Amino acid sequence: MDGDSSTTDTSQLGITGEYMASGQYVLQPQDEDGEESMNDHEEGGAKENYREQDIYLPIANVARIMKNAVPQTGKIAKDAKECVQECVSEFISFITSEASERCHQEKRKTINGEDILFAMSTLGFDMYVDPLKLYLQKFREAMKGEKGIAGVPVGEGLTEELTDDFTNPLPAGIITADGQQQNVMVYTTSYQQVIPKTQQLDFSLTAF
Amino acid sequence: MSKNSPEKADPSSEAKKTISLPISRVRLIMKSSPDVSSINQDALFLTTKATELFVQHLALSSFNNGCGKETNSLSYSDLAKTAEESETFHFLTDILPKKILARDYLKSLEQMQEEDADF
Repeated sequence: MDGDSSTTDTSQLGITGEYMASGQYVLQPQDEDGEESMNDHEEGGAKENYREQDIYLPIANVARIMKNAVPQTGKIAKDAKECVQECVSEFISFITSEASERCHQEKRKTINGEDILFAMSTLGFDMYVDPLKLYLQKFREAMKGEKGIAGVPVGEGLTEELTDDFTNPLPAGIITADGQQQNVMVYTTSYQQVIPKTQQLDFSLTAF
Repeated sequence: MSKNSPEKADPSSEAKKTISLPISRVRLIMKSSPDVSSINQDALFLTTKATELFVQHLALSSFNNGCGKETNSLSYSDLAKTAEESETFHFLTDILPKKILARDYLKSLEQMQEEDADF
Protein backbone atom coordinates (compact mmCIF):
# COMPACT_ATOMS: atom_id res chain seq x y z
CA MET A 1 0.00 0.00 0.00
CA ASP A 2 1.47 3.31 -1.03
CA GLY A 3 1.42 5.92 1.64
CA ASP A 4 -0.01 8.55 -0.60
CA SER A 5 -2.31 10.14 1.90
CA SER A 6 -3.66 12.76 -0.41
CA THR A 7 -6.13 10.44 -1.97
CA THR A 8 -8.60 8.00 -0.59
CA ASP A 9 -9.75 6.82 -3.94
CA THR A 10 -9.41 3.09 -3.84
CA SER A 11 -9.26 2.66 -7.57
CA GLN A 12 -6.13 4.81 -7.67
CA LEU A 13 -4.51 3.02 -4.83
CA GLY A 14 -5.48 -0.32 -6.19
CA ILE A 15 -6.89 -1.56 -2.95
CA THR A 16 -8.78 -4.77 -2.97
CA GLY A 17 -11.01 -5.98 -0.17
CA GLU A 18 -8.89 -7.62 2.43
CA TYR A 19 -9.30 -8.63 5.95
CA MET A 20 -7.45 -6.23 8.20
CA ALA A 21 -6.02 -7.90 11.21
CA SER A 22 -6.02 -4.80 13.35
CA GLY A 23 -9.75 -4.35 13.57
CA GLN A 24 -12.82 -6.39 13.05
CA TYR A 25 -13.42 -4.99 9.62
CA VAL A 26 -13.79 -6.45 6.21
CA LEU A 27 -13.29 -4.12 3.33
CA GLN A 28 -16.14 -3.88 0.95
CA PRO A 29 -15.93 -2.86 -2.68
CA GLN A 30 -16.70 0.80 -3.15
CA ASP A 31 -19.94 0.39 -4.97
CA GLU A 32 -21.39 -1.52 -2.07
CA ASP A 33 -22.51 -4.29 -4.28
CA GLY A 34 -22.75 -7.16 -1.93
CA GLU A 35 -23.08 -9.71 -4.69
CA GLU A 36 -19.83 -9.35 -6.54
CA SER A 37 -16.71 -8.43 -4.76
CA MET A 38 -13.28 -7.89 -6.13
CA ASN A 39 -11.66 -10.52 -4.05
CA ASP A 40 -12.84 -13.77 -2.65
CA HIS A 41 -16.12 -12.93 -1.10
CA GLU A 42 -16.27 -16.23 0.68
CA GLU A 43 -14.56 -17.36 3.77
CA GLY A 44 -11.04 -17.77 2.41
CA GLY A 45 -10.46 -14.08 1.96
CA ALA A 46 -12.35 -12.82 4.93
CA LYS A 47 -11.21 -15.06 7.71
CA GLU A 48 -7.80 -15.78 9.05
CA ASN A 49 -8.59 -19.09 10.65
CA TYR A 50 -9.78 -22.21 8.91
CA ARG A 51 -13.08 -23.12 10.40
CA GLU A 52 -14.01 -26.69 10.95
CA GLN A 53 -17.68 -26.14 10.45
CA ASP A 54 -17.79 -25.71 6.73
CA ILE A 55 -20.72 -28.06 6.62
CA TYR A 56 -23.87 -26.10 5.99
CA LEU A 57 -27.55 -26.69 5.64
CA PRO A 58 -28.81 -26.30 2.08
CA ILE A 59 -29.20 -22.66 1.23
CA ALA A 60 -32.58 -23.19 -0.42
CA ASN A 61 -34.09 -24.43 2.82
CA VAL A 62 -32.52 -21.66 4.83
CA ALA A 63 -33.62 -19.01 2.36
CA ARG A 64 -37.16 -20.31 2.38
CA ILE A 65 -37.43 -20.07 6.14
CA MET A 66 -36.02 -16.55 6.05
CA LYS A 67 -38.43 -15.51 3.37
CA ASN A 68 -41.38 -16.75 5.39
CA ALA A 69 -40.16 -14.92 8.46
CA VAL A 70 -39.83 -11.43 7.02
CA PRO A 71 -42.80 -9.40 5.78
CA GLN A 72 -44.29 -10.59 2.52
CA THR A 73 -42.85 -7.92 0.30
CA GLY A 74 -39.41 -7.92 1.88
CA LYS A 75 -36.32 -8.89 -0.05
CA ILE A 76 -33.24 -10.70 1.11
CA ALA A 77 -29.77 -10.02 -0.25
CA LYS A 78 -27.81 -12.98 -1.52
CA ASP A 79 -24.96 -12.43 0.87
CA ALA A 80 -27.43 -12.26 3.72
CA LYS A 81 -28.69 -15.74 2.85
CA GLU A 82 -25.19 -17.15 2.69
CA CYS A 83 -24.37 -15.45 5.91
CA VAL A 84 -27.35 -16.92 7.75
CA GLN A 85 -26.38 -20.31 6.38
CA GLU A 86 -23.07 -19.98 8.18
CA CYS A 87 -24.70 -18.61 11.30
CA VAL A 88 -26.90 -21.67 11.41
CA SER A 89 -23.96 -24.04 11.47
CA GLU A 90 -22.44 -21.89 14.16
CA PHE A 91 -25.64 -22.06 16.16
CA ILE A 92 -25.87 -25.83 15.91
CA SER A 93 -22.28 -26.24 17.01
CA PHE A 94 -22.79 -23.76 19.80
CA ILE A 95 -25.74 -25.67 21.23
CA THR A 96 -24.17 -29.05 20.66
CA SER A 97 -20.95 -28.33 22.45
CA GLU A 98 -22.79 -26.94 25.45
CA ALA A 99 -25.08 -29.97 25.54
CA SER A 100 -22.15 -32.30 25.08
CA GLU A 101 -20.34 -30.75 27.99
CA ARG A 102 -23.26 -31.25 30.29
CA CYS A 103 -23.59 -34.80 29.07
CA HIS A 104 -20.00 -35.54 29.92
CA GLN A 105 -20.31 -33.95 33.31
CA GLU A 106 -23.07 -36.37 34.09
CA LYS A 107 -20.99 -39.25 32.77
CA ARG A 108 -23.35 -40.04 29.95
CA LYS A 109 -22.41 -40.80 26.38
CA THR A 110 -25.55 -39.96 24.48
CA ILE A 111 -26.84 -36.43 24.15
CA ASN A 112 -30.53 -36.44 24.87
CA GLY A 113 -33.37 -33.96 24.52
CA GLU A 114 -32.94 -32.58 28.00
CA ASP A 115 -29.32 -31.71 27.32
CA ILE A 116 -30.32 -29.74 24.27
CA LEU A 117 -33.07 -27.85 26.05
CA PHE A 118 -30.80 -27.10 28.94
CA ALA A 119 -28.10 -25.83 26.60
CA MET A 120 -30.56 -23.49 24.94
CA SER A 121 -31.67 -22.12 28.23
CA THR A 122 -28.11 -21.55 29.32
CA LEU A 123 -27.07 -19.86 26.11
CA GLY A 124 -29.86 -17.32 26.04
CA PHE A 125 -32.34 -19.13 23.84
CA ASP A 126 -34.82 -20.02 26.50
CA MET A 127 -37.58 -18.39 24.50
CA TYR A 128 -37.34 -21.44 22.24
CA VAL A 129 -37.69 -23.99 25.02
CA ASP A 130 -41.45 -23.94 25.48
CA PRO A 131 -42.40 -24.09 21.80
CA LEU A 132 -39.84 -26.84 21.36
CA LYS A 133 -41.33 -28.90 24.14
CA LEU A 134 -44.68 -28.71 22.39
CA TYR A 135 -43.18 -29.78 19.08
CA LEU A 136 -41.41 -32.64 20.78
CA GLN A 137 -44.64 -33.77 22.36
CA LYS A 138 -46.37 -33.81 18.99
CA PHE A 139 -43.46 -35.68 17.50
CA ARG A 140 -43.52 -38.28 20.24
CA GLU A 141 -47.24 -38.77 19.92
CA ALA A 142 -46.87 -39.38 16.27
CA MET A 143 -44.17 -41.92 17.01
CA LYS A 144 -46.18 -43.56 19.73
CA GLY A 145 -48.95 -44.12 17.30
CA GLU A 146 -46.71 -46.54 15.52
CA LYS A 147 -45.98 -48.55 18.59
CA GLY A 148 -49.60 -49.25 19.45
CA ILE A 149 -51.12 -48.92 22.86
CA ALA A 150 -48.48 -50.95 24.60
CA GLY A 151 -47.04 -47.66 25.67
CA VAL A 152 -43.44 -48.27 24.77
CA PRO A 153 -41.49 -45.16 25.77
CA VAL A 154 -40.35 -43.28 22.74
CA GLY A 155 -36.95 -41.77 22.47
CA GLU A 156 -35.02 -44.31 24.38
CA GLY A 157 -32.59 -46.22 22.28
CA LEU A 158 -34.27 -45.25 19.03
CA THR A 159 -31.92 -44.99 16.15
CA GLU A 160 -32.55 -42.82 13.17
CA GLU A 161 -34.22 -45.58 11.28
CA LEU A 162 -37.68 -45.82 12.65
CA THR A 163 -38.85 -49.38 12.62
CA ASP A 164 -42.40 -50.41 12.59
CA ASP A 165 -42.77 -52.93 15.24
CA PHE A 166 -46.43 -53.39 15.33
CA THR A 167 -47.68 -55.80 17.90
CA ASN A 168 -50.87 -57.18 16.61
CA PRO A 169 -52.21 -59.36 19.38
CA LEU A 170 -53.97 -57.54 22.14
CA PRO A 171 -51.65 -56.96 25.08
CA ALA A 172 -53.03 -58.83 28.04
CA GLY A 173 -52.56 -56.04 30.48
CA ILE A 174 -55.29 -53.87 29.10
CA ILE A 175 -58.20 -56.06 30.00
CA THR A 176 -58.26 -56.65 33.72
CA ALA A 177 -59.15 -59.89 35.42
CA ASP A 178 -62.74 -59.00 36.10
CA GLY A 179 -63.32 -58.43 32.42
CA GLN A 180 -63.86 -54.71 32.64
CA GLN A 181 -62.19 -52.49 30.19
CA GLN A 182 -59.93 -49.74 31.42
CA ASN A 183 -60.34 -46.32 29.93
CA VAL A 184 -58.53 -47.28 26.83
CA MET A 185 -59.93 -46.59 23.42
CA VAL A 186 -60.25 -49.84 21.67
CA TYR A 187 -61.91 -50.03 18.36
CA THR A 188 -63.46 -53.39 17.77
CA THR A 189 -65.39 -54.91 15.01
CA SER A 190 -68.06 -56.11 17.36
CA TYR A 191 -68.53 -53.80 20.23
CA GLN A 192 -69.66 -55.26 23.53
CA GLN A 193 -70.32 -53.56 26.82
CA VAL A 194 -69.39 -56.37 29.11
CA ILE A 195 -66.85 -58.93 28.30
CA PRO A 196 -67.70 -62.30 29.71
CA LYS A 197 -64.65 -64.24 30.67
CA THR A 198 -65.64 -67.34 28.87
CA GLN A 199 -66.36 -65.81 25.48
CA GLN A 200 -63.79 -65.83 22.74
CA LEU A 201 -63.27 -62.34 21.56
CA ASP A 202 -62.13 -61.07 18.30
CA PHE A 203 -60.44 -57.79 18.72
CA SER A 204 -58.83 -55.76 16.07
CA LEU A 205 -56.80 -52.95 17.43
CA THR A 206 -56.44 -49.76 15.55
CA ALA A 207 -53.72 -47.43 16.64
CA PHE A 208 -54.93 -43.88 17.00
CA MET B 1 -34.27 -33.27 -0.67
CA SER B 2 -32.88 -36.35 0.96
CA LYS B 3 -35.15 -38.74 2.69
CA ASN B 4 -33.96 -39.67 6.09
CA SER B 5 -35.92 -42.86 6.33
CA PRO B 6 -38.26 -44.63 3.97
CA GLU B 7 -41.83 -43.62 4.50
CA LYS B 8 -43.03 -46.86 5.95
CA ALA B 9 -45.43 -45.54 8.49
CA ASP B 10 -47.66 -42.55 8.08
CA PRO B 11 -47.46 -41.12 11.59
CA SER B 12 -43.71 -40.73 11.43
CA SER B 13 -43.75 -38.95 8.12
CA GLU B 14 -46.50 -36.71 9.43
CA ALA B 15 -44.20 -35.71 12.23
CA LYS B 16 -41.33 -35.24 9.84
CA LYS B 17 -43.41 -32.89 7.74
CA THR B 18 -43.30 -30.37 10.53
CA ILE B 19 -39.60 -29.98 9.81
CA SER B 20 -38.28 -28.20 6.75
CA LEU B 21 -34.59 -28.90 7.23
CA PRO B 22 -32.69 -32.10 6.51
CA ILE B 23 -32.18 -33.93 9.79
CA SER B 24 -29.23 -35.93 8.51
CA ARG B 25 -27.33 -32.76 7.69
CA VAL B 26 -28.04 -31.34 11.11
CA ARG B 27 -26.70 -34.54 12.58
CA LEU B 28 -23.54 -34.20 10.51
CA ILE B 29 -22.92 -30.73 11.84
CA MET B 30 -23.53 -31.84 15.40
CA LYS B 31 -21.11 -34.73 14.99
CA SER B 32 -18.41 -32.37 13.83
CA SER B 33 -18.23 -30.95 17.33
CA PRO B 34 -15.44 -32.45 19.38
CA ASP B 35 -16.25 -35.19 21.89
CA VAL B 36 -19.70 -35.91 20.58
CA SER B 37 -20.27 -39.63 20.53
CA SER B 38 -23.96 -40.20 20.01
CA ILE B 39 -27.10 -38.20 19.74
CA ASN B 40 -30.52 -39.48 20.53
CA GLN B 41 -33.60 -39.06 18.38
CA ASP B 42 -35.18 -36.39 20.57
CA ALA B 43 -32.04 -34.31 20.70
CA LEU B 44 -31.74 -34.43 16.94
CA PHE B 45 -35.32 -33.41 16.42
CA LEU B 46 -35.10 -30.61 18.95
CA THR B 47 -31.94 -29.22 17.42
CA THR B 48 -33.41 -29.27 13.94
CA LYS B 49 -36.56 -27.55 15.08
CA ALA B 50 -34.60 -25.04 17.12
CA THR B 51 -32.55 -24.22 14.08
CA GLU B 52 -35.69 -23.32 12.18
CA LEU B 53 -36.75 -21.05 15.01
CA PHE B 54 -33.31 -19.55 15.04
CA VAL B 55 -33.37 -18.69 11.35
CA GLN B 56 -36.76 -17.05 11.71
CA HIS B 57 -35.66 -15.19 14.78
CA LEU B 58 -32.41 -13.94 13.29
CA ALA B 59 -33.97 -12.95 9.98
CA LEU B 60 -36.83 -11.05 11.53
CA SER B 61 -34.75 -9.33 14.22
CA SER B 62 -32.20 -8.21 11.70
CA PHE B 63 -34.85 -7.02 9.30
CA ASN B 64 -36.56 -4.92 11.95
CA ASN B 65 -33.42 -3.76 13.64
CA GLY B 66 -31.40 -2.70 10.65
CA CYS B 67 -32.01 -0.47 7.68
CA GLY B 68 -34.09 -3.32 6.37
CA LYS B 69 -37.29 -1.73 7.43
CA GLU B 70 -36.81 1.33 5.30
CA THR B 71 -35.30 -0.32 2.32
CA ASN B 72 -37.57 -3.35 2.78
CA SER B 73 -34.69 -5.69 2.26
CA LEU B 74 -32.42 -7.66 4.50
CA SER B 75 -28.73 -7.16 3.96
CA TYR B 76 -25.51 -8.53 5.41
CA SER B 77 -24.94 -5.38 7.43
CA ASP B 78 -28.32 -5.74 9.12
CA LEU B 79 -27.19 -9.13 10.32
CA ALA B 80 -23.82 -7.89 11.48
CA LYS B 81 -25.44 -5.03 13.32
CA THR B 82 -27.88 -7.32 15.07
CA ALA B 83 -25.10 -9.68 16.12
CA GLU B 84 -23.24 -6.84 17.71
CA GLU B 85 -26.16 -5.22 19.45
CA SER B 86 -28.13 -8.22 20.61
CA GLU B 87 -27.13 -10.27 23.60
CA THR B 88 -28.67 -13.39 22.16
CA PHE B 89 -26.88 -13.19 18.84
CA HIS B 90 -23.61 -11.98 20.20
CA PHE B 91 -21.93 -15.34 19.65
CA LEU B 92 -22.10 -14.62 15.94
CA THR B 93 -19.84 -11.59 15.99
CA ASP B 94 -16.78 -13.60 15.11
CA ILE B 95 -18.23 -14.85 11.90
CA LEU B 96 -20.04 -11.65 11.06
CA PRO B 97 -17.41 -8.98 10.92
CA LYS B 98 -18.83 -5.61 10.07
CA LYS B 99 -18.06 -4.48 6.62
CA ILE B 100 -16.99 -0.95 5.93
CA LEU B 101 -16.27 0.78 2.71
CA ALA B 102 -12.65 0.85 1.75
CA ARG B 103 -12.70 4.59 1.56
CA ASP B 104 -13.97 4.92 5.11
CA TYR B 105 -11.31 2.59 6.37
CA LEU B 106 -8.59 4.50 4.64
CA LYS B 107 -9.92 7.73 6.06
CA SER B 108 -9.74 6.41 9.60
CA LEU B 109 -6.34 4.95 8.87
CA GLU B 110 -5.18 8.38 7.78
CA GLN B 111 -6.49 9.89 10.96
CA MET B 112 -4.64 7.33 13.01
CA GLN B 113 -1.45 8.05 11.12
CA GLU B 114 -1.87 11.73 11.68
CA GLU B 115 -2.36 11.17 15.36
CA ASP B 116 0.78 9.07 15.48
CA ALA B 117 2.71 11.75 13.68
CA ASP B 118 1.61 14.36 16.15
CA PHE B 119 2.81 12.62 19.31
